Amino acid sequence: MNALARFTLLIGLLLTALSSQAEPLSLDQLSQQLSQHPVVRGPFIQEKHLRALPKPLASSGTFVLAADAGLLWKLEKPLKQDYRIDANGIAKRTAAGWQMQPGRDVAAQQSKLFLDVLKGNHSGLARDFELQLSGDAKAWTLALTPTSLLLKQVFSRIEISGGELVERIELHETQGDRTLLRMPASRAGDALSDEERSDFAH
Amino acid sequence: MRTEHALLERRLPRLFAVLLLALLALTAWQWRNGPPVAASMLALLPSGAGDARLQQAEARMQEPIQRDVLVLVGHPQRERAVALAASFGQQWRDSGDFEQVRWQLDSDLDALRQHLRDSRLNMLPAADRQLLIEQPDAFIEQRAAGLFEPFASFSLLPPEQDWFGLGARAQQALNFGGRVQPDLASGTLLVNEPGMTWAVLHLRSRGDAFDMQAPLAIAQRIEAARSASEAAGGQLLATGGALYAAAGQNKAMSEMTLIGGAASLGTLLLLLIGFRRPRVLLSLLPIGVALVAGCAACVLIFGQINALTLVLGASLIGVAADYPLHYLSKSWGHAEWRSWSALRSTLPGLTLSLGTNLMGYLALAFTPFPALTQIAAFSAAGLIGAYLCSVCLLPAWLNGMQLRPAPRLLAVATRAMSWHGRLRQGHGTYWLLALFLAFCAAGIGQLHSQNDLRQWLGKDPALFAQSQRIVELTGQQPTSQFFLVRAADQAQLLQRQQALGTRLDALVKTAQLRSYLSLNQLATPAADLQALRSALADLPGHWQALLDLGIPAQALQAELQQLLEQPQPDLEQALASPLAEPWRALWLGRDDNGVAAVVSLQGQTDSSVLQGAAEGLEGVQLVDRLGELNRLFAATQISAAELKLISCLAIVLLLCIPFGIGGALRVVCLPLLAALAALACLGWLGQPLTLFSLFGLLLITAIGVDYAILMRENIGGPAVSLLGTLLSAISSWLSFGLLLLSQTPAIANFGLAISLGLMFCFLLSPWAGTQQHEVKG
Repeated sequence: MNALARFTLLIGLLLTALSSQAEPLSLDQLSQQLSQHPVVRGPFIQEKHLRALPKPLASSGTFVLAADAGLLWKLEKPLKQDYRIDANGIAKRTAAGWQMQPGRDVAAQQSKLFLDVLKGNHSGLARDFELQLSGDAKAWTLALTPTSLLLKQVFSRIEISGGELVERIELHETQGDRTLLRMPASRAGDALSDEERSDFAH
Repeated sequence: MRTEHALLERRLPRLFAVLLLALLALTAWQWRNGPPVAASMLALLPSGAGDARLQQAEARMQEPIQRDVLVLVGHPQRERAVALAASFGQQWRDSGDFEQVRWQLDSDLDALRQHLRDSRLNMLPAADRQLLIEQPDAFIEQRAAGLFEPFASFSLLPPEQDWFGLGARAQQALNFGGRVQPDLASGTLLVNEPGMTWAVLHLRSRGDAFDMQAPLAIAQRIEAARSASEAAGGQLLATGGALYAAAGQNKAMSEMTLIGGAASLGTLLLLLIGFRRPRVLLSLLPIGVALVAGCAACVLIFGQINALTLVLGASLIGVAADYPLHYLSKSWGHAEWRSWSALRSTLPGLTLSLGTNLMGYLALAFTPFPALTQIAAFSAAGLIGAYLCSVCLLPAWLNGMQLRPAPRLLAVATRAMSWHGRLRQGHGTYWLLALFLAFCAAGIGQLHSQNDLRQWLGKDPALFAQSQRIVELTGQQPTSQFFLVRAADQAQLLQRQQALGTRLDALVKTAQLRSYLSLNQLATPAADLQALRSALADLPGHWQALLDLGIPAQALQAELQQLLEQPQPDLEQALASPLAEPWRALWLGRDDNGVAAVVSLQGQTDSSVLQGAAEGLEGVQLVDRLGELNRLFAATQISAAELKLISCLAIVLLLCIPFGIGGALRVVCLPLLAALAALACLGWLGQPLTLFSLFGLLLITAIGVDYAILMRENIGGPAVSLLGTLLSAISSWLSFGLLLLSQTPAIANFGLAISLGLMFCFLLSPWAGTQQHEVKG
């Protein structure tokens, strides 16, 4: 499974978890803190740490997360490719415009789920993870340990941390690989640019 | 003479009572474990022609149709759908009614990974193999991009075990489930549509879906679950052979009750109105004896009785009631009616009737249709029972009864016969015949024949709508069409399947076929594997794109080495893997002639397109059971008609004894003309001629001979005979004609043909009599 899919899933999980009643005060606060911005933009750096490689497989680019529209994921290095997820599914930018990817992938399910969560349509995935929140509003870490049988065979542990916004997501796979996704300079915004809006529109 | 009669009149009823007791004992023993009734209309279809292999393949493909039930539980909220599915699933699993209940992907991922790693060369789809062989650079570039793709499907193999992406591509090909996807959290199989999430449950019933009790139990469980889901704000869709069987069973039972009940009630009223004596109702007894005898004979011969036989058999009531009418109707003629003497005077005619009826029915037993064979056996046994009851027992019970039949009926009949007598003087008959034949010719010209299996099933519309909806949601549409591929050994089998697969891929691409499953998707033919390995060996010249990503050359080299040296499992090993579950049923194994396997198809496809795909491929055979059956229907029509003609000849020979050749011909020709007229009416009405209407017309010739004999024998005078014929015709119509009400098209069509035929039989029957109206008896 790819890092971004996980990222979106996790944001979703996070919001679900935060809005659930498990640990009312602090999780609620974090939920509110993360969901107050209509748009979040910034660069991302993804490192895939594979056991067999001395150096991680690194890629980078920028993302735009719009609470009411979806997510634009623009991979720039080592190759250029734009992706988009919204309520309709996953699309890949081609010379002929956005091309919908087959909606049958498990990743599509996750991304749809993520968007559902953004719209407040909680899907109760919190019950499949054990959640642990530590730190304060300026520096927090949320650890997720899967409890569902299927997820346990994929992840051993997931850590999300940040301050004002999410800054770091680390996925530990059951098979020993690890993916680190950093969003070091995300900025909250109020609205989408025209170009972004048209990317979401077509 | 008189004492002899008295002795016989005492002994016959006793003898029959003993027989009847034996029959009842036999029936009680047959029903000791519940009703031996089978509901499957399919069981009445002839088994396909062909060798053992073909029959094995058909049985294999039939099994899921008969035993599997697919249930979709929908709810606008995803987690509620998941929860509902889990609760039903657990409930059904605990119930013990099902061999298997599956709603979760609870596969052991580690085991799947291992198998995918070991057999990824084998399972690499043909198109990907071709890409690797022909355009290795493009293949590698796609893989390099794939390593960064954010939404690539969830890969079982981590990148360092699958640098070239063969495993990821093979895994993609495994994802043939269409729109059914596992929920990542719970593993529940789901189908999403806007505003609704459906959880999918696969049920496999125990044993045969067509054993009597299981379908009803399953249908009840499904209905209970449906109410529960609706109460929870959800929906439930279900489809499967067991549900169709349950619906068919219920329908057959209720129709049998309705038609049988109405026929009995009608016959009862007819007797009361005609003879005005409650005791005459005893003559309904032969009906009961006929049904019991028919049932017992069927169970004895076939092991069980089919619901369709029971429904058609219930119509036997009308014929069975005819026998007592033979002598009861003579009460109009005699000043003083005595049961035994009336029987004695009508016994020859009665016996002739039985003989001709039996000939008519038994001719049907020789058609290759189990349905007709069973109905013929039921009817023959029933008629013999009714005859014996009418001859041996009934006169004793009616003995001493004074019959005072309604005189007005006789007056009407007398007037009708005098009109008829005037018509027959001069050339009236010939003009009428010419007119009649013209009517027939014009009607038959408009007749069209239709033979479709769907007439049999008379699908329950609610069930059918659910099936359609499930096809739409899941994209899974199993069909009865499939390919049977035979070969000398496994290598040749895979080669042949590969050749077929190439053609089928083209059909899938042009959307003429939804998808297919074939063993060569699981195991690549040796020659192709060889080509794949040599393309892999050349890969180091093309993998720069992967090196550019920072993947060390040693890592690539190591994986390449492993791929090249890894022995691929042979077909039987591959089938044992947990990944192979969907393919397992396709393998038919080895026999003296080699090996064979099925290629199963999804989606309705024109039979001629599939025929084209098999054309010119050695060892490949398209099996289209539905088409084959429809063709068989048509062929049976012809053979049934031939058999009928033979039986008519036999009847003529039999009737020559009392009536001479001219009389016999006349008696046999009248029902044939009546059948012809009924056929013409079907044409005029725009109704199709089906195997069932033909069967009805064949029956008409048998029954019509009965009426002709009654008129020919002329016991008690023509008016009395006509009245007897009328009563017989009405009682027959009450049972057969009521089949018109059946919801099963086949049965309703049958009822229509019989109704028309009966009417013409009655109208034509006066011509059976001799010209001089002398009164006998």
